[in-house]
Amino acid sequence: MRSRLFPPVFKGRLHDARTATSIGRWLGLAFMVCLVTGLISHAWQHPPGWLADGLPSRPAWGYRLTQGLHVASGIAAIPLLLAKLWTVYPRLFVWPPVRSVRHALERLSVAVLVAAAVFEVATGLLNTAQWYPWPFSFVPVHYAVAWLVAGSLVLHLAVKAPEIRAHWSRRSAGTLARPEEDGPSRRSLLAAVAGAVGAVTVTTVGQSFTPLKDLTLLAPRHPDHGPQGLPVNRTAAAAGVGLIPAERYRLTVAGPQPYTLTLDELRGLPQHEVELPIACVEGWSKSARWTGVRVMDLLERAGAPPHARVRVVSLQTRGGYRVSEMGHAHAHDSLTLLALRLNGEELSPDHGYPVRLIAPNRPGVLQTKWVGRLEVLS
Amino acid sequence: MRVSVARVLTGAAGLTLMGVGASLLLDVPDLTGVLVWLGGAAVLHDALIAPLVLLIGLVLVRGGTRRPVRGALLVAGALTAVALPVLLRPGKPANSSVLPLDYPRNWLLTLVAVATVTALVLAARGICRSRGRPRS
Repeated sequence: MRSRLFPPVFKGRLHDARTATSIGRWLGLAFMVCLVTGLISHAWQHPPGWLADGLPSRPAWGYRLTQGLHVASGIAAIPLLLAKLWTVYPRLFVWPPVRSVRHALERLSVAVLVAAAVFEVATGLLNTAQWYPWPFSFVPVHYAVAWLVAGSLVLHLAVKAPEIRAHWSRRSAGTLARPEEDGPSRRSLLAAVAGAVGAVTVTTVGQSFTPLKDLTLLAPRHPDHGPQGLPVNRTAAAAGVGLIPAERYRLTVAGPQPYTLTLDELRGLPQHEVELPIACVEGWSKSARWTGVRVMDLLERAGAPPHARVRVVSLQTRGGYRVSEMGHAHAHDSLTLLALRLNGEELSPDHGYPVRLIAPNRPGVLQTKWVGRLEVLS
Repeated sequence: MRVSVARVLTGAAGLTLMGVGASLLLDVPDLTGVLVWLGGAAVLHDALIAPLVLLIGLVLVRGGTRRPVRGALLVAGALTAVALPVLLRPGKPANSSVLPLDYPRNWLLTLVAVATVTALVLAARGICRSRGRPRS
């Protein structure tokens, strides 16, 4: 039915294809960065068999950069997505709602795109605050819906290609056909959207880009907050380990020539110092100075072949990520340590006392804490 | 109407990727929950966020200061949207390094900063105009 109220009439300006194109390409770029960096993170955490031994250990800051970008571009996408949806909102009420089969399919694909895009940025943002109000598991669903966003976005680009081309620049035919007086207002709107992207970025990005840490107002983490000045995700209490008594601690290295070390024996081995970041999948990261024993030295003593993979087993009794594996690149990287000290002090229980793994270019959840066992895999 | 081959191929690639996403979703144990949340995301935007934004625009964005006020509302709205999880998350965080800041205070600080910048822009515009007027 058609009444005075429905479908609504939009008298405001800028609900047009030029505005949609201008905002859309920045949103598309943000989503592309999100997808690529998300796939990189997925490969780290769930490597397919053929890649499990091929993940590079350098650059040491690689995962810190890609995951920081993932969260930063996701946050930047929030004002872009809202502005884009505002621009095209009147199209929700086109009359008649469906003109043809093709039109119906087109609208259906846009519905999938809108639902999946809003879902993806919202669940991602809530995950950074460790807030899980939904009934399903976050990681597999966020991953699956990422493909829905990517697919429906590519389809949307194909459907809208003529309109995008007609409004790509200020001199394009479609742009020139629009009322000229909209130009200044549109530029002011785009400047405001750019300002919003800048504002949300500056107030959150310091959680991983530490030079801006003093401007971190709205991020769920701050690089300076945490035991020994470093944030943590799982505490010793949450992992069910508590304070492990030094005299009871043993490190077992299982390999062709297996052996066991006490904490004093570990302290007596040649110690190395490295500067490496902890980079969490939730986006925060911070570099720190770690001191400990090289994993490659421990493996050599166990008679491990040079291309051996390694399994690292924690003493934790609760929670996921008790066991992590490393390909040969990480296992034999001279920066990979079983660390005993953090920034010159003994590790605190929450950072993995007495011994934790720290390796370059690797997600924080795989930097296993409270390490009790190294296993050489053939 | 002629549709180019590249466009058809791009569309087909999009459909394929959507298929990948759909097949991954079919493996999720609680598919109903996911569909409710997906539909809820679209409904939340179309029935609540967008009308609210339009209403605020209708009431507040008018007259000679339209553009700076619109810009200020947009930036403040984006900051608020990004701050919602840290402001509203219920329950105690997992440890003291999760959500360690005074978020209500910080959020208000960002809003004050936006209001200050907007006021300065409006004042600067006013000065430019009053200087420009006698000459013209």
